[in-house]
Amino acid sequence: MSGVVCQQVAIEFPSAAGPIKVLKGVDFEARPGELTMLVGPSGCGKTTLISVIAGLLRGATGSVNVFGQQVTSLSNRQLVPFRLANIGFIFQQYNLLAGLSVIENAAVPLVAAGSPWPDALDAARDLLNTLGLTPHLTKLPRQLSGGQQQRVAIARALVHKPRLLLCDEPTAALDGKSGQAVMGLLRDLAVSPDRAAIVVTHDPRVYAYANRIAHMEDGLLVNVEEVLPAQLATTH
Amino acid sequence: MIRIAFRILLHDAAKYLALVLGIAFATLLIGQQSAIFHSVVQSSTREILEASEADIWVMKPSVETLDQTDPMAELAVNRVRSVPGVAWAVPYYQAIAQLKTADGRSKSVTIIGVDETSLVAAPRTMLIGSLADLARPDAIFVDAAGFSTIFPDTPLATGATVEIGQRRAHVVGISHVGPSWTGLPRIHTRRSIAIEMARETINPVSYVLARAAPGHAPADVARAISAATGLQAHSSDGFRIQTQNWVLKYSGVAENFGITILMGVVIGVAIVGQTFYMFSIENLRQFAALKAIGVANHRILGMISIQALFVSVVGFCIGIGVASLFFAIFSPQLTGGLRGMFMHPAIFIGTGFFIVLITLISCLISVRRVLTVDPAIVFRS
Ligand SMILES: Nc1ncnc2c1ncn2[C@@H]1O[C@H](COP(=O)(O)OP(=O)(O)OP(=O)(O)O)[C@@H](O)[C@H]1O
Ligand SMILES: [Mg+2]
Repeated sequence: MSGVVCQQVAIEFPSAAGPIKVLKGVDFEARPGELTMLVGPSGCGKTTLISVIAGLLRGATGSVNVFGQQVTSLSNRQLVPFRLANIGFIFQQYNLLAGLSVIENAAVPLVAAGSPWPDALDAARDLLNTLGLTPHLTKLPRQLSGGQQQRVAIARALVHKPRLLLCDEPTAALDGKSGQAVMGLLRDLAVSPDRAAIVVTHDPRVYAYANRIAHMEDGLLVNVEEVLPAQLATTH
Repeated sequence: MIRIAFRILLHDAAKYLALVLGIAFATLLIGQQSAIFHSVVQSSTREILEASEADIWVMKPSVETLDQTDPMAELAVNRVRSVPGVAWAVPYYQAIAQLKTADGRSKSVTIIGVDETSLVAAPRTMLIGSLADLARPDAIFVDAAGFSTIFPDTPLATGATVEIGQRRAHVVGISHVGPSWTGLPRIHTRRSIAIEMARETINPVSYVLARAAPGHAPADVARAISAATGLQAHSSDGFRIQTQNWVLKYSGVAENFGITILMGVVIGVAIVGQTFYMFSIENLRQFAALKAIGVANHRILGMISIQALFVSVVGFCIGIGVASLFFAIFSPQLTGGLRGMFMHPAIFIGTGFFIVLITLISCLISVRRVLTVDPAIVFRS
């Protein structure tokens, strides 16, 4: 399986002073069975790159291949079910639905894909249990700590077993300890042989959870570092 | 997805309450004012509605509206009878006269003189007495609400003697009739007595009431009557519409009620639009997250429509409930043109449709932002 393969991806945004090139021909790869971290200084284009990979940002040139599907050739209309079936998201701001309970939030992608609520809730319950959230299933997101909310977001991102997981700064809003815990859970749950996981981060303390670290600078991928199994953080 | 829509909606109790109460208030204004408006306009055609045996009304060409009578010679009745397609035709007399009670009080009343033999246009429902009593000497019926204005604080009863246009008359029956446009008490009597009460010297007829023979359309027969006699003739429905149009044109009721009803619409749209707008702005990130995950715009639109439908139905039920309560409590106490007011089922249903429609439209307009939001904002903090 091919995972995510980006070749010569470029995009520019219009501005008062003319178009600004934000991605300038990025070659990037995220393999199934691995956790790939995307790191680099602020403004170098990390969020832009994963938005292009997810098909949330259109207008990029070059080739973006996600598990054999050329994302840039999908219409907006085709992208919606494509994301629903293939991609799980984790955001810095959690972005949980405030009116839904923890378990309902985690079930959303399955329900959106057409599963009946009872089935979706069963799947969500199992996953939340693994994430240690069983005592909080019926609470609302605002009754949880940031770390707990991010764990709910992990459940929501994985409940429908997507082939690609995209995380943008999942630990940035958390203190060091919660951040480590969230990354540990991500590694344990997200990495599986047929899933590629991409984690954008600023936080060098979590680098140890990566199989591979891609360094970006000013719109270009400058270096890819492989983390040897011996260096991998041990969890639990 | 319906469950998600409800959770998002009900989560913010304050906004939900504002929405429901705004819609309820708009419903109350629109429903109640429309019902009063309908009752008032309908009261202007009361006599036409009550003389339901007749389906054709014939009058002088100068008459524009029911209450503005212009007497014709009695001969007109025979001329109408001779037109083919007329099953029967009877005279009808209506005028305003002064009533004096035994203790010397004076009151304007509408007197309605019905044909002595057929009693066409006599009241349908008698609270005291029966239709046959109208044949008794000097007999008059007084309508129940009118009785209470003529004899305040007196229980409904027959037996009183009054003078109308200096002619003695005995109250032999109390009728139950709907409210009239003028709000005056209504006295039903035989036409000969009514004419004496109005102190007419000739033998006038206000209207000729007729019925089309079976198999003939009243409107067609009315046209034939006009052609044959040179008089103005309408089917009773046609005359009702003409009278209502006249009232709407000259009385100002349409403007008065129109302004209040419009206010209801504006308040409804403003509250619903504003609240839904705030609602969608505050939940923008949540909707963007749904879109990023892979929920299509049309499903988000569906969720919002369900929310709008739900609040509009709940708001409508509260508003229409309060309006109905208003009618149930106050209707029996109202006098004049508002007496006997009720909410016609068509107004109930119409208000419901209208409220749901304006709620849907105003929230769909105000949630444009949700549909156009770039899901990529979920990555921005
Ligand atoms: N929609 C847009 N329109 C114009 N400029 C944009 C847009 N999105 C991003 N940019 C610009 O592109 C550049 C890269 O942004 P991006 O968010 O990808 O950076 P990043 O690497 O994720 O940074 P950070 O670590 O701060 O999140 C920035 O200069 C940003 O201002
Ligand atoms: Mg970023």
